[in-house]
Amino acid sequence: MTSEGIRIEGLRKRYGEGDTAVDALKHVDMEVAPGEVVGLIGPSGSGKSTLLKSLGAVIDPTAGRMTLGGKVIYDDGWKVTDLRALRRDKIGFVFQAPYLIPFLDVVDNVALLPMLAGHSNAESRERALDLLTALDVHHRAAAMPSQLSGGEQQRVAIARGLINRPPVILADEPTAPLDSERAMAVMRILHEMAEKYQTAIIIVTHDEKIIPTFRRIYHIRDGITTEEAGEGKPIA
Amino acid sequence: MISLAGRDILHSWGKFVFTGFGLGLLIGVTLVMAGVYRGMVDDGKALLDNSGADLWVVQRDTLGPYAESSSISDDLYRTVLAMPGVAQAANVTYLTMQVRQGDNDVRAMVVGIIPGDAWGSPGWPPYLVDGRQITRGHYEAVADIAAGFRLGDEITIRRNRYRVVGLTRRMVSSSGDPMVFIPLKDAQEAQFLKDNEAILQNRRRTAANPAFNRPGQPDILDAVNASQASSTSVNAILVRLEPGADTEAVAQSIRRWKRLTVHTRAEMEDILIGKLIATSSKQIGMFLAILSVVSAAIVAFIIYSLTMDKIREIAVLKLIGTRNRTIAGMILQQALALGAIGFAVGKITATFTAPYFPKYVLLLSQDAITGFMAVLAICALASLIAIRMALKVDPAEAIGG
Amino acid sequence: MNITTMQRRKVALIAVLVILAVSLGYVALRSGPLAPVAVTTADVENRTLRPALFGVGTIDAERIYRVGPTFAGRVRRLTVNVGDRVVAGQLIGEMDPVDLDDRLAAQVSAVRGAETSVSEANARRAHAAAEADRYESLLEARATSEEVLAAKRQDLVVAEAAAATARSNLDRMRSDYAGLQSQRGNLRLVAPATGIVSLREVEPGAAVAGGQTVIEIIDPASLWVNVRFDQVSSAGLMAGLPARVQLRSRDGEVLRGRVLRIEPRADAVTEETLVKVVFDTLPVPLPPLGEYAEVTVDLAPLPDGPAVPNAAVRRQGDSIGVWRLEDGEPVFVPVTPGKSDLDGHVQILRGLSEGDTIIVYSERELSANSSISIVERIPGGTP
Repeated sequence: MTSEGIRIEGLRKRYGEGDTAVDALKHVDMEVAPGEVVGLIGPSGSGKSTLLKSLGAVIDPTAGRMTLGGKVIYDDGWKVTDLRALRRDKIGFVFQAPYLIPFLDVVDNVALLPMLAGHSNAESRERALDLLTALDVHHRAAAMPSQLSGGEQQRVAIARGLINRPPVILADEPTAPLDSERAMAVMRILHEMAEKYQTAIIIVTHDEKIIPTFRRIYHIRDGITTEEAGEGKPIA
Repeated sequence: MISLAGRDILHSWGKFVFTGFGLGLLIGVTLVMAGVYRGMVDDGKALLDNSGADLWVVQRDTLGPYAESSSISDDLYRTVLAMPGVAQAANVTYLTMQVRQGDNDVRAMVVGIIPGDAWGSPGWPPYLVDGRQITRGHYEAVADIAAGFRLGDEITIRRNRYRVVGLTRRMVSSSGDPMVFIPLKDAQEAQFLKDNEAILQNRRRTAANPAFNRPGQPDILDAVNASQASSTSVNAILVRLEPGADTEAVAQSIRRWKRLTVHTRAEMEDILIGKLIATSSKQIGMFLAILSVVSAAIVAFIIYSLTMDKIREIAVLKLIGTRNRTIAGMILQQALALGAIGFAVGKITATFTAPYFPKYVLLLSQDAITGFMAVLAICALASLIAIRMALKVDPAEAIGG
Repeated sequence: MNITTMQRRKVALIAVLVILAVSLGYVALRSGPLAPVAVTTADVENRTLRPALFGVGTIDAERIYRVGPTFAGRVRRLTVNVGDRVVAGQLIGEMDPVDLDDRLAAQVSAVRGAETSVSEANARRAHAAAEADRYESLLEARATSEEVLAAKRQDLVVAEAAAATARSNLDRMRSDYAGLQSQRGNLRLVAPATGIVSLREVEPGAAVAGGQTVIEIIDPASLWVNVRFDQVSSAGLMAGLPARVQLRSRDGEVLRGRVLRIEPRADAVTEETLVKVVFDTLPVPLPPLGEYAEVTVDLAPLPDGPAVPNAAVRRQGDSIGVWRLEDGEPVFVPVTPGKSDLDGHVQILRGLSEGDTIIVYSERELSANSSISIVERIPGGTP
């Protein structure tokens, strides 16, 4: 397991040139330690998705510095070459909707990432099953995603996000479609995983149900982040 | 690594197989079209091969007897037979006409052959599928099964009735009309003798002519009527050469008889395939081209729409770190699988429906292989559009707004 | 362990693909040029062939009499119609005498006149003879001169000549009369033999030329068939062979007859031998002259020998032969064919023996390395 989580210093993202230029991100500082679960809250238009895309190594920032798992991945214009491999190996994604591949069964949905990374099918599937067991959905391992309930699908999605043991996980509104009981279950899992695998987890959300559980919260408004201490309510 | 293409096909196999079948029918039609062209060429070759001749002697300056009408005297064959290098020379007549059987009419090519013990003489059908060859000098016929006659049927050609005593297969004219073989004299009468009405009119005209109808000399009128009613022409002389004879040399020596033109086997093939079926083959070529373009367009559309259905999954795949190569490979594999299924369905459909076509459809293995390669190539090319679409997808779309 | 959906689907898909592949393979091997050729076989049997010759001909009659006037005239009356039976000597018609009767009468008068002239010339001669005698005796009595006697003798000679002239004139008149009489006789058209009237060319009142046929009579007993046989297939034709005649108007009825003779002159243009075939018993009712007939002449049966259906005889390259099965493979055997019968069996003089299995019908042309499949009958043939 790698340490150091994720650290962002002075990130800026500018769209366009000259007079029509728009700074979606003006100045962002963020730091999440391994094993920590932080919330990222911001209204739409605040640069939230741009930040997520930058964090997800999907877009290139204009300025600033990003360090991931101890390695610098972006530094004022320079960026690491293979962004795709970065995404595959270093960043886990959990989306609003599970976005499982409908034509792969549950095991293969999770095992796909290690297979893409070059591990053998058997080994990948074994790792996937371990994770699914940890997430308590291993009994659905052979089913197709369409046969699972929403909560089960979400858990599988989380497993997929975790399978490569990435140093950071980005979760975009993971509890939005869920009721409070399920939402709490998801939060519990995320905390467990964070603890177990020492992963830094950033959860973008505005779900009132789960915000109290964060110990630290980042707010973003007009492209600038501010840090705030959260309630840290234990999960029921 | 698992096969993403395979998994997708397994998952939505119904859509895939259904699409494959549809594509297959289109490919089947294309294969049949190619088969029709091959069949036409084969008809021409069959006509030449079955006649058993090395040389065709016809009226001077004609491309006969198949491409153009040709008429020569029926005693010329004796002089041709006497030429060095000639093993057999047989008179033959060809006329495409309506043959009646019961209530229906069949269009057939009536061939006049010398009956009797002339085994294997040029013009004779080289093999039978039922019955026997003609033994009587009149009123017997051997017909091709494509005409729909059976043994023992009575068929009517012009004024006479013939009994079908034998059946052949693949004896057709270059335009696919079935052949009916009858004795030469009957065929000459059928071709050159007019019907009863016309004969009566002729007799009246002759009788009205004082040069022929002299009082006290009734025999002149009879003689003129008889000569007008006789038929001593044939369409061609089929020549078989002795082993080791020089085809061109013998042909040249016959050509020196100034009233005759001689075609060798190669020249006849050229005439039949080059001139007779040239227009049809161009038409078929155009059809083939159009069908191929249509097939390509349809395949491209199908692959594109299959890809578009998966566009969100592709975005997710790209986001979680799948190589572009892998995604492109998935689309290409699907396109090729579709093509392979389509081709298999098409080839099987073509083979089973080919016998029911009115024209002879010849499906060659090399055409099938060429077709297979073409289908795969078209599918690969068609998938390029979808691949381009897929690779342009922004993985950020998976993250949403 | 439960079979999951995925595995079920996999099995199903593989099954479909296997079916497809097998069908494709079947199609490739069983149809098209790679497919084996369907053939039917038969065993060579020893047969006694009864060859026959087939020709077509027309009904004709040996004795046809065309009766008409010997000189131009007008037909006065006809006493018979087509289809009537006539006997030899029967009056069947008459020509118009026109002025012939008058000329006969005139000739009678002319004969009478000539007879009278003869009497007169005879009288003169008698008188001249008596005078010559008298003057002869007078000369002996010296009562007259030599001159006068010479003159009288001269008169006698003249009178004798005149009598001879008158006699020959009478003969001539008589001959003319006889001639006119026989002409008058020729006006009567008489049947030259017993038979049936077959043609009545002109009607009474019509003018006809000399030699033109007015009535045609045929002798029904002399009815025969004028048959043409292709020279190529007329070997063995001889007078006396039995024949079967089928008239075009009488389908199914076979009349028996025999070959009367083979014409010494054949038709060089149509390359046909001309033959006359007579009936054993005349068909009733008589067929009209010119009706088409199909004639089959039976030749003597051939000695026993191996025979094959003529569909089995084929040409390969330059030799005529038959495909024989040897160990299930087709082998082309050149043969020497002999005679054949009208049902399509051919004698094999050399090349095959009884019991050989040969290929009779085939779906396609055969070659030495064709793969064959033996069937009961070729599809497409008569069921």
